[in-house]
Amino acid sequence: MVQKQRQDAAINALRMIPTKWAVIIVVAIIGYVLLQPQLNKRFGLSLPSVASLVGDEKQTSQKKQEKLNSNEKTSTTNADSNASKAATEEKSDKDDSVNKAPTSQPQVSDPTIGAERDSEKIHGFLTEVGRNRFESPAGLVYGPGSEEGHRLKHIERHLEDQPKRPGSHGVFEGDMHAFLVAIDDAYSRAKRGDKGTKKIQDEGSTIYEASFKKPIGFLGGQEGGRKRNPPLKQLRIVVRGKSLITAFPF
Amino acid sequence: MTSQDSKIIYVESCPICGDGLCRIRICISNQKVTGFILCDECEAMWTDPLMQERVPTNVDETDPQCPSCSQSIWGKNMHWANIGEICLLGWFDHVQMVDE
Ligand SMILES: [Zn+2]
Ligand SMILES: [Zn+2]
Repeated sequence: MVQKQRQDAAINALRMIPTKWAVIIVVAIIGYVLLQPQLNKRFGLSLPSVASLVGDEKQTSQKKQEKLNSNEKTSTTNADSNASKAATEEKSDKDDSVNKAPTSQPQVSDPTIGAERDSEKIHGFLTEVGRNRFESPAGLVYGPGSEEGHRLKHIERHLEDQPKRPGSHGVFEGDMHAFLVAIDDAYSRAKRGDKGTKKIQDEGSTIYEASFKKPIGFLGGQEGGRKRNPPLKQLRIVVRGKSLITAFPF
Repeated sequence: MTSQDSKIIYVESCPICGDGLCRIRICISNQKVTGFILCDECEAMWTDPLMQERVPTNVDETDPQCPSCSQSIWGKNMHWANIGEICLLGWFDHVQMVDE
């Protein structure tokens, strides 16, 4: 009663009809804010909150992206309390960097491979640890050596076919970054002795072999040409100590 | 001197790594010419083209050492053998040749 009298007084004072409408709208919004969670909970509705209705485009598109993402995230989104909604939104903010993974990155055809390109690093993957020496996340060192003068230059030969070269020449399909990621993945798995890997000790060297679920390259060289360049699903890595000597699909 | 005739001269595909070619590496030091077999991929080494005796390599070294002068196999004294040098070593019957 008192509230209505005050409202009337305010309306009379302003003597403006639009103000009356504004008050009605405000009252309706307050009612919606109070009732929306209850209605959603009781009748299983999914009425949007006022916050989300007035929120910016970014928030809405983030939610859409969130739904397109993993099942794990979808299940969190389905949680009905506002608290968990807020938590999910925060999570999606944090995970945003993962969504921004470059789409141009060649597929290494293995779900275990997903290392991101770091623009600060050599080939987006290696850290300089000494003069002309670069270390991978798995601890492989790429340094000076080989006929080409540097191990990185040497393994680069395996990004292209050499059809005239006698025998086999394993060719990796992808760029240097993808190759380095695949080498690191294979090396880590083979060192652990995972299924589908092998470790061979030879004189001062260790040869690691690891299988991939899908082809990572093809057989090149004269031998590959004779066999119509069959796809290859394994990677062989030769190391001395921690230094990489060579790596190629086989 | 390394590839003046743009031919790859090799003994066979590498039995260790599968992808490499076992080629003849020449060392010239102290007026002495020495030849040995070196895989151009995995750097496995043998003393002669019959490839029966391996040249041991240490785990901790970056480059394997020449069995004659103990310098890096990729050092200044070293190069891939040409046909003349292979003939001088008496290893011609053991090699195959292909255009690079
Ligand atoms: Zn080899
Ligand atoms: Zn020497």
